[in-house]
Amino acid sequence: MSFVNRLFSAINSGTKHLFKRRFTLRYPDQKFILEGEGYQYDPKNGVGIAGYRGRHILYLERCTGCSLCFMMCKGISLAIEMINLPDKQISVNKKSNFPQIDYSKCVYCGFCVDACPFRALFETNDYEVVSYDRESLLFTPEQLAVPPKKPKGTHDLKYGSRGAYHA
Amino acid sequence: MSTLSISVGPQHPGSGHFRIMVKLDGDRIVEALPDPGYVHRGEEKLAEYRNYIQNIPHFERPIVHDSSNILFAYVSAVEDLMKLEVPERGQYIRVVMAELNRIIAHLYYMAIYGIFVGHSTMFMWPMGDRELFIDVAQMISGQRVTFAFLLPGGVRNDMPEGVKERAEKACDYFEKRLVEYEKIFINNPLFERRTRGMGVLTKQDAIRLGVVGPTLRASGVKADLRKDEPYAVYDKLDFDIPVSQDGDSWARAWVHMEEMRQSMAIIRQALKDMPSGPVKLNLRGQIRAPSGETFARTEASRGALSFYLVSNGGMMPYRVRLITPSFRNMIAIPHILKGLLLADLPPAFWGLDYWPVEADR
Repeated sequence: MSFVNRLFSAINSGTKHLFKRRFTLRYPDQKFILEGEGYQYDPKNGVGIAGYRGRHILYLERCTGCSLCFMMCKGISLAIEMINLPDKQISVNKKSNFPQIDYSKCVYCGFCVDACPFRALFETNDYEVVSYDRESLLFTPEQLAVPPKKPKGTHDLKYGSRGAYHA
Repeated sequence: MSTLSISVGPQHPGSGHFRIMVKLDGDRIVEALPDPGYVHRGEEKLAEYRNYIQNIPHFERPIVHDSSNILFAYVSAVEDLMKLEVPERGQYIRVVMAELNRIIAHLYYMAIYGIFVGHSTMFMWPMGDRELFIDVAQMISGQRVTFAFLLPGGVRNDMPEGVKERAEKACDYFEKRLVEYEKIFINNPLFERRTRGMGVLTKQDAIRLGVVGPTLRASGVKADLRKDEPYAVYDKLDFDIPVSQDGDSWARAWVHMEEMRQSMAIIRQALKDMPSGPVKLNLRGQIRAPSGETFARTEASRGALSFYLVSNGGMMPYRVRLITPSFRNMIAIPHILKGLLLADLPPAFWGLDYWPVEADR
């Protein structure tokens, strides 16, 4: 093909996209569907259960304070710290030690979930851990125990005759 | 002859976090010396103080958009030390993740290359289309960039329902998009005039300098570890290695684009042939590798990536040596930039697919 032909072909392939659906997801107004309940781990079979790796959820009644999650995180991002909550009386946790997660450091690798042998720590599909100050990114065990709000995502990636789009 | 020395970089003026000392005679580059080390973070030394699992998120950091491929080499090395046999389904899922990552990394390359030759559409399109494959990878692994998905002994979790359909839809759509990429970018006569015959690395030079990956294949050498030393299940899959004889910046862009086509073919086959069964060995407790040394390498998106691992039987590796493809391609920078105009530095440099963070480790 000649120079001019190829030039018009290039311009044409771009111009066509004026009439196609826009691919962009307009984020705070539109949110993406995340299926499942988040990443979990099955210590019996030693294998994870697929899901989004967002902020954690801590089941206080199962946590024994063994600090395996802390020991795993120590070599990764130092986000987990064990803190003492004397007013929380849980039969399996005599010393009342619970993990506290600093989300300004967490890399969401999820190896703390893999390290927990009691299924007390999972990751949920809440990805909107944002704040205006660093203190609010420090999640205490009580805050981690609260299940996240169900994300109101309605948009999904679709493939139509006029290209891919989020709808 | 009086020359002018200018330093391009290291704070990202179009070179990445990396400095090139350029000596100019008028507008022409007489000498270009790379000066790496600005983003060196000592990954190899850090690895000696972390156990085999804790090293996984750390080793992703040099190449975040190619995280599965760098982990592939690492877990292969650890498995080699521990003499583990990965279940077949785990190996297939690894190959799918590695190829998804290759497409994601190649699209990133196309986007950066596009913006540095001044083609802003070619920045927007690949950055948008990366989402198609990040979406599939997120479904499998639960993360969008740093997947931390490969483990010694397999992969972290099985694929959820619906990955196959989703991946096939993404591949179908992206194949149509690649035709548009060809029209607007690769075969665009303006892009060709800008990059044809620029930064030529002949076949002899490429072999002599020891470059790897798409840069080597663009110079006419058919070398790919997936074919030459098949690891995982690559020997059961049918794919080609695109090779160009030109060796210039244009050929490098073309090789990257064709490799994405081949990667999609691999993903389709791997998802079709995937057997059922376990994805991971159930390793209980702390991983301890027996003492010994090993060397493992895989074909990452930028070329051959090697891990040399020494263990003294403890919980942590005794010594890790990581040789990344960008580190080996760095030697080509002074070679290809010599004699070009200064304005041609960004297209020639970015065509090389050099990634400073990966090279500095």
